[in-house]
Amino acid sequence: MKDHLNENEFNINEYIRLDQMPHFLCPGCGHGIALRALLWAVHQLGIDKDKLAIVSGIGCSGRLSAYVDANTYHTTHGRPLAYATGLALARPDLNVIVISGDGDCLAIGGNHLIHACRRNLNMTCMMLNNEIYGMTGGQVSPTTSGDRYTTTTPAGNTEPVFDACALATAAGASFVGREVTMQIIALRDMFKKALVHNGFSFVEVISDCTEIYGRKNDLGASPEMMMSQKSTMRPFAYRNTVDVPFRPNAMKTGVLTEVDRPEYGNAYREMTAGLRGEKGGT
Amino acid sequence: MSEVATPKNVLIVGVGGQGVIMVSKVLAQLCQNNGYEVKQSEVHGMAKRGGGVFSHVRFGPKVWSPTIPEGEADVLVALEWAEGLRWINYLKPGSGTFIADCQRIVPPFACRNRGRGAEATYAPQTPEEIIEQVHAGFAIDATTMATNLGNLRAANTVLLGALSTALDFPEEDWLESISMFVPPASIEINREAFFEGRAWAMESDKRVDETAAGLHKAHTDIHNVDIDTVVEITEEWCKGCDICVKMCPERCLRMNDQLIAELALPDLCTGCRMCEWLCPDFAIKITNTPVTPPALEPAE
Ligand code: SF4
Ligand code: SF4
Repeated sequence: MKDHLNENEFNINEYIRLDQMPHFLCPGCGHGIALRALLWAVHQLGIDKDKLAIVSGIGCSGRLSAYVDANTYHTTHGRPLAYATGLALARPDLNVIVISGDGDCLAIGGNHLIHACRRNLNMTCMMLNNEIYGMTGGQVSPTTSGDRYTTTTPAGNTEPVFDACALATAAGASFVGREVTMQIIALRDMFKKALVHNGFSFVEVISDCTEIYGRKNDLGASPEMMMSQKSTMRPFAYRNTVDVPFRPNAMKTGVLTEVDRPEYGNAYREMTAGLRGEKGGT
Repeated sequence: MSEVATPKNVLIVGVGGQGVIMVSKVLAQLCQNNGYEVKQSEVHGMAKRGGGVFSHVRFGPKVWSPTIPEGEADVLVALEWAEGLRWINYLKPGSGTFIADCQRIVPPFACRNRGRGAEATYAPQTPEEIIEQVHAGFAIDATTMATNLGNLRAANTVLLGALSTALDFPEEDWLESISMFVPPASIEINREAFFEGRAWAMESDKRVDETAAGLHKAHTDIHNVDIDTVVEITEEWCKGCDICVKMCPERCLRMNDQLIAELALPDLCTGCRMCEWLCPDFAIKITNTPVTPPALEPAE
């Protein structure tokens, strides 16, 4: 019983900058829940705050780095993965976590994402997918679902969506997973796996933007949005039930890819050490 | 094969995702192959909530109604113990056979009172006490048997083996019907599982698996640890999003007139931490301290 209590015991105040609180996110924004899951995983793995580097881009998601009491780096739009690549190569002793959004990661930074996946450098990327550019007033993003209204699609969106996890897997990420904010324990456990994984880990968090996206599309308040997100996904546990496949056309949640691939940082350091060794010899 | 004049009734129950429908399909196919008319009706689709699934199978020379009335089932097959108990009144008194896996998946309704220190009302009787009350009954640990054979998923086939002792069909017909509904690669393991279940149930009319004996009584005090919960809400951080109010399973939070969350019914709070976890603004802090009743603990 005691262990059970301890496992759930997590004081987030030890990991956030209290002078920055309350944070600037809208009421009911799921990003806060995702941040709690991430920091909870960091706490349970016993990662030292001085060895933790959070890199973020621009957007509502980009602001999260400012609230974490660790080494943080608020970079340009779409480029957090590029900055993080340099950081992780120069300082392999750090745990590099990138926080990005759907627009930041898939549109402006889409190119950086596929090459980060391809290199398989050891870091963790959390992509918060709320299907919209919230900070700039609600423009359509690469993950906005069909028929949804945004500022730039006043008559409904007709573009097909990006499946970010399929993209990351195809580009070579060695750990890929997706979870909704409502399943915070599963999300925490997924972050734990992603953080210890040696290679590029990509975690897509389905978050809710109540104030803009929810309001424009009549999706209800945050509790309703969170519950409907949860009930339209296809959870890992039911993927292979004996009966008919459970929600065959829905997006899958859970760990989707977990493979062993050579990690870029190691390969790079070996190569450079080899070169130095040769030079020293001659 | 002796003639069945009036329809035979087999009721199969379990929890979503366990394979109730697969078991009933095997049985329906078997009866059909043996020249009977079969009617099967089911309620399924509750897999998401771990909800109950049941399937009525009726077969005979002529079957009219698709459902089995209460007290008319010749055999009740339960893939989960509590579901079996929930349906036990459908069994024919005096002649029905009860076959249940001891596997325990606690359904949410089993905990009627979720308050601190409350007892879970999950099956207070032990399997021996239940089997004592029916005409013929088996409390079988099919899940462990199947796991020992190397495939947990063959548990349903172990139960089919036990079921085969209660119905009068040749072994080969059972195996043929099973192999139509399992993946080709696992036909051999399902065959072994079938014979294992059949041999186990052949031994006597009433049997309780050793691994299951006395099992369930011990679980009733699972919630019997008293916890002292303190709910702290940082008002300056709360943005009134309503998440905690709607997500609290006990509905003990509410919005005050300033649209700030407050704990309205502290007595109902179970300290589950749902509100703490899902508050996007980190405004709620739950502190749970176990309270050990001093009188009940033996002094060390
Ligand atoms: S801990 Fe929070 S969610 Fe759980 S019962 Fe108490 S007030 Fe409700
Ligand atoms: S979840 Fe947090 S921010 Fe939302 S109403 Fe409750 S205490 Fe306030």
